[in-house]
Amino acid sequence: MKKRSKILVVLLVMLSLTLSLFAQSQAETGPQKEIELRWASIWVGNDSKAPAVEALVAEFNAANAGKIKVVIEPQPDYNAYEQKVRTSLAANQAPADIFTIKLNPTTEAFYQSKLLLDFAKVMDPQWKATFDAGSLAQSTIGGELKSLPMETAILPLWYNMDAFKTVGITAVPKTMAELFSAFDKLKRAGIAPSSQMTGDTNAWTSMIWFSHLAVSLGGVDVWEKSFTDPAFVEAAKLLKRFITEYSTSDAVGLGAGGSGGHFLAGRTAVFSNGPWYAGRADLAATPFFNSIKIAGLPPAGSTTDFAISRLQANICAASSKDSAREKATVEFLKFLTSAKSISRIAESSGAMFAIKTDYLPTKALQKQFYEVANSAKATAFDLEAALGAEVTLEFGQQLGALALGRITAEEFCALVDRKIER
Amino acid sequence: MQALPLQKKSIWAARILFLLPVTLFFFFFFIYPFVFTVYTSFTSWRGIGGMAFNGLANYKKLILDPTFRKALGNNLIWALCQGFIQVPLACLVAMILVRKPKGWAFLRTVYYLPNVISTVALAMVWVAIYNVNGPLNAILGRLFGMEAKNWLGNPDTALFAVIFQTVIYIGYFMIVLLASAMNIPASLYEAAKIDGASTFQQELHITLPMLRGTLITTMTLAMAYGMRHFESTFLMTGGGPAYATTTMGIDLYLKMDALRYSEASTAGVFLIILGTVVITLLRKIFGKSDPMSEMAQ
Repeated sequence: MKKRSKILVVLLVMLSLTLSLFAQSQAETGPQKEIELRWASIWVGNDSKAPAVEALVAEFNAANAGKIKVVIEPQPDYNAYEQKVRTSLAANQAPADIFTIKLNPTTEAFYQSKLLLDFAKVMDPQWKATFDAGSLAQSTIGGELKSLPMETAILPLWYNMDAFKTVGITAVPKTMAELFSAFDKLKRAGIAPSSQMTGDTNAWTSMIWFSHLAVSLGGVDVWEKSFTDPAFVEAAKLLKRFITEYSTSDAVGLGAGGSGGHFLAGRTAVFSNGPWYAGRADLAATPFFNSIKIAGLPPAGSTTDFAISRLQANICAASSKDSAREKATVEFLKFLTSAKSISRIAESSGAMFAIKTDYLPTKALQKQFYEVANSAKATAFDLEAALGAEVTLEFGQQLGALALGRITAEEFCALVDRKIER
Repeated sequence: MQALPLQKKSIWAARILFLLPVTLFFFFFFIYPFVFTVYTSFTSWRGIGGMAFNGLANYKKLILDPTFRKALGNNLIWALCQGFIQVPLACLVAMILVRKPKGWAFLRTVYYLPNVISTVALAMVWVAIYNVNGPLNAILGRLFGMEAKNWLGNPDTALFAVIFQTVIYIGYFMIVLLASAMNIPASLYEAAKIDGASTFQQELHITLPMLRGTLITTMTLAMAYGMRHFESTFLMTGGGPAYATTTMGIDLYLKMDALRYSEASTAGVFLIILGTVVITLLRKIFGKSDPMSEMAQ
C-alpha cells in the first residue's frame, strides 16, 4: 500500500513537470503575451486632469489591444502617494511601472536608484525635441534623465478684482506702493487683503509670496546665494508685514486648505497658487470667478518681468531587463507626451506642461496663465523647487516665529540657511 | 541518548507549531526591522543607493539638534500630562461611576465615545474649535471679554492646546479603572460604613489602595503613549509653529520625509531606548506590577 502511494506521488510529479514544460514551449511559440503596465497615477478622482488622462489610457489600450495594456492604479492622496514612492524605492522596489515625482533637491536622491529607467538612453532626437529644453535640462542630473518633465507650473498671484473694485481700484497694482495703498483700502473695507499661511510642511501660499519677493530683490539666481543675503532678509521683512498687517488673523499656523478657503469665501482679495487650481468646481462657483486676474506680485526690487515656476510633476518609469516591457513603457510615454495628448489634458484641466504644443486655452482663467508665462522675460524656481523639502519645512516653521515677532528677519534667514546643504 | 516517548514528542511538536506563526511574525515585523534600524543608525543613508558607515556621527548630530531637543522636552511634557493629569481624571470619574449614580451607564458610554472616533476626525474638530473665529474664542470673549487668540498658531499656547484635546479624552483609562473598581468586594465598604467612615474616607482608604496596581499600569501605559505621541499633533499643527509642538515621532517622520533615513533611524533607536528607560524607572518608582496581568483583570 505504502509502495503504491509512493509510485503514485512520483507519477504525479512527473506529469506536472511534463505539463509545465509543455505549457512553457506553447507560450514561447504561441502568440505574444500582452504586456500589462501599472501606472500609479495621481491624476485620478477629482483631479482636473483625470478625465482626459483616463480617456487617453483607454484609447491607447484599445489601439494596442493584445499587445500593451496600461492599468491606472489610483493614488488620490498625494502625501500618501509620495510616501509610497519613497518607501518602495528605499525597499528596492519600483512603486509601479510608471509613476510621478516632484523633482527638487530632496527628491534628486531618487536618481541614485537603479530601478529607474534612464530616458537619456532610450530617447530619440525626435521625441527629445518635443520637450521644453529648459525643463529637460533641469530634469537631467549627472547626465541621467531618470524622470521626464511633464507638468510644469507658474505660481502667480490671483487677484479678486471684484474685491478691489469695492474700494475703487480697477487694475492690478503695478508697484509695491500701489499694492500697499490698495491693501490699506481693502483693510478699511473689512476685507483681509491677502491669503497667507505658515502651516503644513511648506507654508505653501506664503512661500510663493516669499519667492516672488526674493527673486525680485535678489535676481533670478537668488537661490544660489546664502540665505543670509540682504535680498532674503528684506523679503522676510516684507512677508512678515503681509502676514501681520494684511492677512487673516489665523494666518499663523493655517494650512493650504484654510488659505484657499478664505479666498474662495471672498474673505481675502489676493491668493497665490498654480494653474491646477483654476479647474476647481468650487472656484467656478464663486461669484467673483470671472473677475479673477492672474499676475505677478509687483516688483519689490530691481528684477522685474519674471515668473516663478516649477516642475510640478515628472514621470518616472521602472527599468526592466525585459526589453519588450521597456519598449512598451516608452511607447506609452511617447503617446502620453505627444503634443496631441498634452493638448487634450491641458484643455480639460488648465494645467501647463513641459511639452511643446500649439495649444492655447479657450477658458479665460487658464488663458491668463499662458499669457503671464509667455510674457515673462525670465523664470525662476520657487523656494521649495530650488532648495528642497527640508529647507522649506524650516522656512514654514520659523515663519510663524517671525510673524509673531519671536525672531528677527535676520535670525529667520540664519535659521533657514542652517538647513541648506552646500 | 534515550529517545523521547511518542506523546512527549508530539507535545513538543504541537508547542513549536503553535508558536511558529507568532514567532515568525515577531521576527519579520519587529526583530528584523529593529536590527535594521539600529544598523542604519550608524550609517549615512538616504533610503536609496548605498549605505556608508559613519559611526556615531548621527547620534552626535541628533543630540546637538535643537529641534530634536525641543521634541524630547515636549514628549516629556506629554508623558507627564498623560500620566499625572489624564489618569487621575479617569480615576476620579471611575470612582464616581462605580457608585452607579443615576445615568452612570449612559455617562460611561459618553466618556468612552471619543475612543471609537477617528483621531483624524477629532483633530479636525479641535482645529475648528481653536480657530481664531472658532467657538472657543467666541465663548471666552462673551464670558470674560477675552481677545480672540490663535491657540494653535501661538508657540506659547499651541503645545498645551494639543495636549488638552488628548488629555480630556479619559474614556480608555476610565473603563480599565472602572472594571477594576467594580471588582473591589462590597464587604470592605460595608465594614467601613459600620465603622463610621465617610464616603471620602472610603475612597481614600479602600478604593485607591485597591486600585493601586491598575493605576500603575494605566499610568505606565499613558506615559508610554505620551512618549510616542504623533497623530493628533501632526494633524493639528504639523509640529509648528516654530517647532513648539514637535514631538520625537514628528521629528522622526519629517527626517524621513526629507529622505534622511539614517538620521530617522537614529531618532527611532533613541526613542526606543528612552521609552524603555522611562518605563523601567516608573516600575522602579511605583513598585513591581505586571501591566499585562493587570489589564487581564
